[in-house]
Amino acid sequence: MSWQVVAYDLFSVLIYPGIIFLVALALFYQWVDRRVYARAQNRYGPHHTGPRGLLQPLADLIKLLAKEDIEPSAVDKMIFRAAPILLLTLVFTALFMVPISGTSAIVSFEGDLIFLIFIMTLFAILAFLAGWGSTNRFSLVGGMRAALQTLGYEVPLAVSLIGPAILAGTLSVSNIVAWQAAEGFWSILLNPLGFGIAIIGIIAIIEVVPFDIPEAETEIVAGWQTEFSGRKLGLLRLAHDLELVFVSGLVVALFLGGPTGPIPLIPGIIWFIIKTVIIVFIIGFIRAQFARFRIDQMVSGSWKYLVPLSILQIIILQLYLMI
Amino acid sequence: MSDSTFTIPIGPQHPALKEPEHITVTIDGEYVVDVKVRLGYVHRGGEKAFEARTYTQGLYLVERICGICAMAHQLCYANNVEGLLGITPPRRADFIRTIIAELERVHSHLLWVGIAGHEIGWDTLFMYTWRDRELVLDLMELATGNRVTHATNAIGGVRRDLTPDMINQILKGMRHLEERVKYYAKAVPAERTVMKRAVGVGILKPQEAVDLCAVGPTLRASGIKRDIRKDDPYSAYDETPFDIITNDGCDVAARVLVRVGELFESLKILDYCIEHLPSGPIRVRVPINVPPAENVSIVEAPRGEDIHYGKSNGTDKPERYKVRAPTLANWASVPTMLKGGYVADLPITLAAIDPCMSCTDRIAIIDIGKRKKWVGSTDQLRRHIKKCHGK
Amino acid sequence: MAMRDECAKSLLKKPSTLVYPFEKYESIPGSRGKIVINTLESSDNKCIGCGLCIRVCPAFALEMIGKGPTCDMKWYAGRCVFCGECVDICPRSAITQETTYDLADSNQDGLIYDYKRKRNPEGNVKE
Repeated sequence: MSWQVVAYDLFSVLIYPGIIFLVALALFYQWVDRRVYARAQNRYGPHHTGPRGLLQPLADLIKLLAKEDIEPSAVDKMIFRAAPILLLTLVFTALFMVPISGTSAIVSFEGDLIFLIFIMTLFAILAFLAGWGSTNRFSLVGGMRAALQTLGYEVPLAVSLIGPAILAGTLSVSNIVAWQAAEGFWSILLNPLGFGIAIIGIIAIIEVVPFDIPEAETEIVAGWQTEFSGRKLGLLRLAHDLELVFVSGLVVALFLGGPTGPIPLIPGIIWFIIKTVIIVFIIGFIRAQFARFRIDQMVSGSWKYLVPLSILQIIILQLYLMI
Repeated sequence: MSDSTFTIPIGPQHPALKEPEHITVTIDGEYVVDVKVRLGYVHRGGEKAFEARTYTQGLYLVERICGICAMAHQLCYANNVEGLLGITPPRRADFIRTIIAELERVHSHLLWVGIAGHEIGWDTLFMYTWRDRELVLDLMELATGNRVTHATNAIGGVRRDLTPDMINQILKGMRHLEERVKYYAKAVPAERTVMKRAVGVGILKPQEAVDLCAVGPTLRASGIKRDIRKDDPYSAYDETPFDIITNDGCDVAARVLVRVGELFESLKILDYCIEHLPSGPIRVRVPINVPPAENVSIVEAPRGEDIHYGKSNGTDKPERYKVRAPTLANWASVPTMLKGGYVADLPITLAAIDPCMSCTDRIAIIDIGKRKKWVGSTDQLRRHIKKCHGK
Repeated sequence: MAMRDECAKSLLKKPSTLVYPFEKYESIPGSRGKIVINTLESSDNKCIGCGLCIRVCPAFALEMIGKGPTCDMKWYAGRCVFCGECVDICPRSAITQETTYDLADSNQDGLIYDYKRKRNPEGNVKE
């Protein structure tokens, strides 16, 4: 292996489209999300720090990192300290498998879609562990809700994400994107139901209204995040924003053709940003429309409606492939 | 207590509560098993402070019992002192008081709809209703000079007259409000996530509501037709036509519907009062010293019956002044509403009685064993507090 | 999604909130704001130091320094409840209320307004 290859790999992991670029993107998406949510409610949202408030998420992050980090004496120290770092690591790992600048991701192998679905479950497990380790009543309830909520959204989300894989005949996200680029059409055309279910599922993953049950502010303070403060809370917030990039990127890759577009002159990254911003916009707008579900309503509703619909989608795809 | 239950402390500091109050909730998984309410975190010594102030100064103290039902408390106080003096305010003052009181009801109920939305996570509703509530506040600022604590009543009348220009602006603002209220009355029940969280939640059966002395919209949402404005009219309510809104739902949804219905009734009352506003003086002169007497006055605040008791002793300061804010009467029914429900329904059920905690906190130490009230000096009280804190 | 139309419209509209320190809310005529006490000697409506306003004030927000027609007045904005009783009771209409509402200050002293009379170097009030 020559040094050029090593340098290129380091560059792509650390800078573009690696960690630094992803963090910048995450902060930008947080701004888009907050802005859309605020404008839908007829108010400004972040508008002061930087041009049009673009630097506000960064300012928030720096503020949190600089604040006092309180560690209650009763917490399980190992889990409590590890949770934010593990969550951040998990999100980065997942993001490296999502194609961002070209049809191929930094890491890709046959079956990485299954691996990604596994990581998405780990998010909830980690939330449960963090809540458990906090030894706070609110955290405990929040952690249990996070784990319960997984039972609701995991199956329909996984089934709907498999839809494009069946079409492309591969279980690698990069290959699915390549297949869509080669075929010249987006799998949403055959997968409209799956796309809708995937959007609902990713809203549940990033825990925003109407599925912000694990961190329902007015019920259990901040849920499993209640005891975190300072640096740890800053990292959790950053991880949350990166999750937003990850889930929107994954949906774009699977359903909307990933970082490719009809006009070949525009580089892939621009297509990626345009498409993901649309997804973030949809999430922000949906966030303004609903009240929070109760945990029992969420789980039973998802098994009653989402699971049958996602299976129906798979059946439709199989029929299409048979014809 | 079995092993499967554990307690969650709600408050004194909690995002669902805007004011400090403590509720101990015993839960089993997601179900509420037991509820204990503990009041008294914001005792402000208001009743004692009345005794050190003249009747005119008391007007501004009584407003500050509650920022949202400021007008109701002040009106009750003014009625009370006027009763002690044995005078009646001019008719025009009665109408102006009614107009301001109804504007306040509109603002309070709009505020409540927003809070209820926020408690179940629908912040959009909160933002929109509070935006429209701003208009009511502007109208009140125009009519009285202040946005929240209006300082508009005087003993023996009101302090500021309504000019034709103000009346025009109020009418214009009301047309806009009516449109908005109609929109919310349609949009909120149409939102399925809201109704899923509100229907069948926080049940308070009619008999329980009466037994537990619930008041105001909480009582009317249990199907009991009771409203001080009709039953014991004060100010201009004796000739104003309006309906008492009731609902047989007995749940949170019913409380929403009752309040939305009352918004329309309030707008109707406002229309009538502005149309029939009599001309004449707005204030009569009153003596500074009040002859010895006792009086009880009741006013229908946006949250329910507000009862004031006053005792004068011939000087310019009251001998005793007692306030029973409506929320205190509603607290007793809260454990009944919460038991057997979900933890997730706790904030909305609490919010449904429209609690105003700071208004409720009074102190009366009663020794249950000896059935004796305990009245102590400041020193004794200080010692008692030290004992409570284990010092 | 009952309010989706309203929300979609709001996306295109200018927000109804103000960018507060840069944009200011226009105060409504007749609203009760800053208290101004006229202690100018040349005016007909000057303060005569009767002390009625201090007796009537429910919040103890006014203070008289000195006695009678030569007194200085102090207004504590931090204590004031803006009820306007002093304005109503003043027999010379020396107290007026402006509609200025943003009186907050980062400094305690910024909340105390002195209304002093013009004095000679010897400390006597100029007549």
